[in-house]
Amino acid sequence: MELSQVRYFVTLCQTLNFTRAAAQCHVTQPAFTRAIQKLEDELGGPLLYRERSLTQLTELGRAMRPHLEAMLLAAEAASALAQSFKDAPAASLKIGLGPGIGGAAIAPAVQEMARTLPDLSVHFDESGPAALIEAMLTDTLDCALLPEDCVLPERLNRWALYEERAVAVFPAGHRLSALNAVTADDILEETILAGDRCGDFAGRLADATGATLRLRRCNGPAAQMVDMVGAGLGVALLSERLPVAPQVVTRRFSDPELKRRVVLTTVAGRRLNPAAAGFVRLCRVMAYE
Amino acid sequence: MGFDAGSAHRPRRKSFLLLFFKKEALACLTPQEFAAITTLKSRLDDLLASRRASETWDAAYQEIVATLSRNGMLDAVLPVGAPFPSFALPSAEGRLVSLAAALSRGPVVLGFFRGAWCPFCRLMLAALTEALPLIEAAGGTLLALTPETGGLPLTMKRYHGAAFEVLADVDFGVGLMAGVVFRIPPLYRERLVASGLEFPQRHGNGAWCLPVPATFIIRPDGIIAERFVNVDFAVRPEPEEIIAALDRLR
Repeated sequence: MELSQVRYFVTLCQTLNFTRAAAQCHVTQPAFTRAIQKLEDELGGPLLYRERSLTQLTELGRAMRPHLEAMLLAAEAASALAQSFKDAPAASLKIGLGPGIGGAAIAPAVQEMARTLPDLSVHFDESGPAALIEAMLTDTLDCALLPEDCVLPERLNRWALYEERAVAVFPAGHRLSALNAVTADDILEETILAGDRCGDFAGRLADATGATLRLRRCNGPAAQMVDMVGAGLGVALLSERLPVAPQVVTRRFSDPELKRRVVLTTVAGRRLNPAAAGFVRLCRVMAYE
Repeated sequence: MGFDAGSAHRPRRKSFLLLFFKKEALACLTPQEFAAITTLKSRLDDLLASRRASETWDAAYQEIVATLSRNGMLDAVLPVGAPFPSFALPSAEGRLVSLAAALSRGPVVLGFFRGAWCPFCRLMLAALTEALPLIEAAGGTLLALTPETGGLPLTMKRYHGAAFEVLADVDFGVGLMAGVVFRIPPLYRERLVASGLEFPQRHGNGAWCLPVPATFIIRPDGIIAERFVNVDFAVRPEPEEIIAALDRLR
């Protein structure tokens, strides 16, 4: 398929009018129509119903639209990134981080963008999924890392990035520090700190074991929860990828294994600035250990 | 010819030797020895013959070749004399690599591959890995593009111990600009699904597209000097042909 055919189709999806779409693409209508027909031939069926008063996408057209939009945006992004290497424009990258998701795994991708675009500013926003999704839809965030199990509107792209397992976090000198790994039985007697922003590994533990856990609500950022663990308020279950303070100890949580997958999300069909487009592509390609 | 003539002639002698070997005589060689004296074409042909022994595979293969021949997709592929579009893509190691940076060192050999899963691509990548010193001696920089994501470009690179850049053509962007991307016909897609290849996950894109294997020789000024492209994914250029194309640019 040809770049121009895909561009014509994406424009036609937006206008649903052959005359207007051809004009927007600066081609004659016969050339425009031929290009769409050739694309339909290659994709194996009609993409649009052509009725006198109404142009509508067929099922195939609706199914192909987001993928072809993504391909067109990818071509534009690959060119724009190459151009921005030459121009080195000021650029910004606005990343949302969902509950209990740290920035360590994506730091190499941020660093690579800063290497190629030296005048890059980076902004992180840590919040719940609903707030981050809203921020992406209103274009105040470029992308967000979210837990796979949160409900995402269809308008969002999602790509699985990595899995992360839980570690138990407790004060130095705690009886659990004698163990190599912690199991459900080991912490049933402990008070577990649970909050909206810690990744809900306690909820996963309750689901997996059916046990009634001794929970203490502790809402707020993970860093403050770790401070509270250090002060003896209870034990926390957090992602293995989060940094921890020196006054606490972490042990792998082994039975049951508590893990979750983290996905990268963007608004489908949204054209991102070169810094964000490059960052999203780096994140999608990287191997996470 | 400013490079070491002895090493440049070595692969040609290998192909020449082949004329004196019968297939039966080759059977007693180790895989490494076999690879060293057979042409890429003979290895691709052997692989193709073994695959075509399966009727369902053969039907899917014929469907791809017939469909892409009929719909004239090669007309859309960037021709010799056209500028190759500038681009930057993520590499297997998580760097951003631009065509311009590669061209600043000399001509570029840019190959579109189907992915780490494809045995035909593996044969060609193995041949290119072996021929890389000669390609570099001829002044060329090799860039291998794959539409795969999620760490698979690094898997491909490590599998071959490749010293050249493997780049992820995320969402087929560069392939689309080069005109090499097609939607996989139904029978072949069924074969892929049956063998457990989930392209929506591997590509991070549900279009079920692939590139035809195409190799472009790009001059330092960005103009396509030569191209090797075929709708048949079992037809690939010999490393010797690529090196000869680079030699013609000197």
